[in-house]
Amino acid sequence: MLRIAQLSAGYSGVPVLHDVSIEVEEGRFVAIVGPNGAGKTTLFKTISGTVAPMAGAITFGGVDLLAVPAHRRPHLGIAHVPEGRQVFPSLTVMENLEMGAYTEAGRIAWAETLERILEWFPVLGERRGQPAGTLSGGEQQMVAIGRGLASAPKLLMLDEPSMGLAPAIADFIFERLIEIRRQSRLTILLVEQRVAEALESADHSYVLEAGRVVLEGDNQELRADDRVRQAYLGM
Amino acid sequence: MAVVTGLIMLENILQSLAAGLLIGAIYGLMCVGLALIFGVMRVINFAQGDFMMLGMYAAYYAFALFGVQALFGSTIGPYVAALLAAPLLFAVGYGVHWALVSRVTGTRTAGLDGDGHYAQLILTLGTALILQNGAMIVFGSYPVSVQTPLSVSAWEVGPLWDDYVSVFVNKARGIAALVSVATILLLARLIASSRLGKALRASADNPEAATYMGIDVQRSHRVAFALGTAITAVAGALLATNYPFHPYVGLEYVIVMYAGVVMGGMGSILGAFWGGMTIGVVQQMSTLILPTQLQNTAIFVIFLLIVFLRPQGFFGRVVERT
Ligand SMILES: Nc1ncnc2c1ncn2[C@@H]1O[C@H](COP(=O)(O)OP(=O)(O)O)[C@@H](O)[C@H]1O
Ligand SMILES: [Mg+2]
Repeated sequence: MLRIAQLSAGYSGVPVLHDVSIEVEEGRFVAIVGPNGAGKTTLFKTISGTVAPMAGAITFGGVDLLAVPAHRRPHLGIAHVPEGRQVFPSLTVMENLEMGAYTEAGRIAWAETLERILEWFPVLGERRGQPAGTLSGGEQQMVAIGRGLASAPKLLMLDEPSMGLAPAIADFIFERLIEIRRQSRLTILLVEQRVAEALESADHSYVLEAGRVVLEGDNQELRADDRVRQAYLGM
Repeated sequence: MAVVTGLIMLENILQSLAAGLLIGAIYGLMCVGLALIFGVMRVINFAQGDFMMLGMYAAYYAFALFGVQALFGSTIGPYVAALLAAPLLFAVGYGVHWALVSRVTGTRTAGLDGDGHYAQLILTLGTALILQNGAMIVFGSYPVSVQTPLSVSAWEVGPLWDDYVSVFVNKARGIAALVSVATILLLARLIASSRLGKALRASADNPEAATYMGIDVQRSHRVAFALGTAITAVAGALLATNYPFHPYVGLEYVIVMYAGVVMGGMGSILGAFWGGMTIGVVQQMSTLILPTQLQNTAIFVIFLLIVFLRPQGFFGRVVERT
């Protein structure tokens, strides 16, 4: 579904990603882990089009994504839940979700998706009329994820959804993601710092270090790797 | 005798207040146009006063030359002409954004000196100068106004308090104020509940996240710029029924607009309206104690006081953008 081949990208002519190749099959849950500054967010932004690539190719469902302007990519079925939540602070919770449904697919499925979003995150229903900027970090993350789901995407990309949250809230968010995935069979691409949980829930994972894919495999394969055990799992 | 003097003073105060509210409604509309542009794009448009001037001439020519007067008469005609200025200046704003402003704003400015603010400053100031000088060549320097019989007739409120106190409301200004308020209510509704309005607000709140929703932020900016231009132009055209104008009229009102928008909390639409309203009232009330020539000084003093004492404005948004 999503195929990234030999991608290089960066800022002001300085590459951050080098020769990255990643593949996400339809219906799969793929995780990307790696230390801070490895280029995970840059990779997501290149997929979404807010960072321009220097070399390589990205296709989505056979379409050459790099030929599509950034604001058209969500309409192809890509939802990007960005790092640090980035809700619309002055818009209400409901308006944030409506903005998620800005895509045609989202508009058509709106009534149904809204119901499911509120089932998964009931607190959003209670806060529906409140400006999103007044919510707690955890609630804002729920808005961000709900907003992504509201576009009725084919691929949901989540950039560190547990970042900056209290452990209990982060656990809850993670548990919800697994539940959403179980119920919807959505294709998910996840960047996470909670490596153990990410590897465990994902069908396939990539380890990104200093802008390069240094390792890939399923949970068992990665757990068997000494470097992963030492660097990410503290074993 | 003292009672009569008191009542005359009261009458003067009420008369100034009424005049202030009427002119304030139009200043409010003017400010709303500027606030819309600033709120969505974070661009300070120094040509806003000159777009207003274009709106005045658009209404003037639509009224006098292009048949609006013949079709609607001199009573309703000026207001029809004022509303006609909206689509015309919308197109002008759209074109100016497409050709010029978009090159120094939005995602293109990332990494530029001062985030592109210097380029924006120079570009909008340059646009202002070109519009002023161009208008001088095309329209000439002779002041004109949109003639309506309503501007020399008034409604009388009162008499109040034993026949001593009456307030006169100029009909032309009264109707202009009503049209102005109606325009703002319409715009507020558009911004609050239409899909376009929500997309504009989302683009203002967080352009990057808006892009991830599938919103074309560049287009949001273009629409906001055009809409803001059109709104201010309508305000100008409404003003044109009462005040003679000339190609440099924009300079006189740019201070009003900035003071109003800053007072309203930079970018808040309804705040800008109340800011403009406050300025109208202050300006008219100041004539009770100050010579007319000092009207604009009074506005400027208020402006400075606000900047020093309450830089976030009086009617600022509750939630700031990230
Ligand atoms: N807007 C930017 N401009 C310049 N360099 C950036 C920018 N954003 C990130 N970087 C740099 O790119 C590298 C990768 O960052 P990022 O993609 O955010 O990593 P990660 O998400 O894995 O922590 C870092 O060295 C960071 O300093
Ligand atoms: Mg990151």
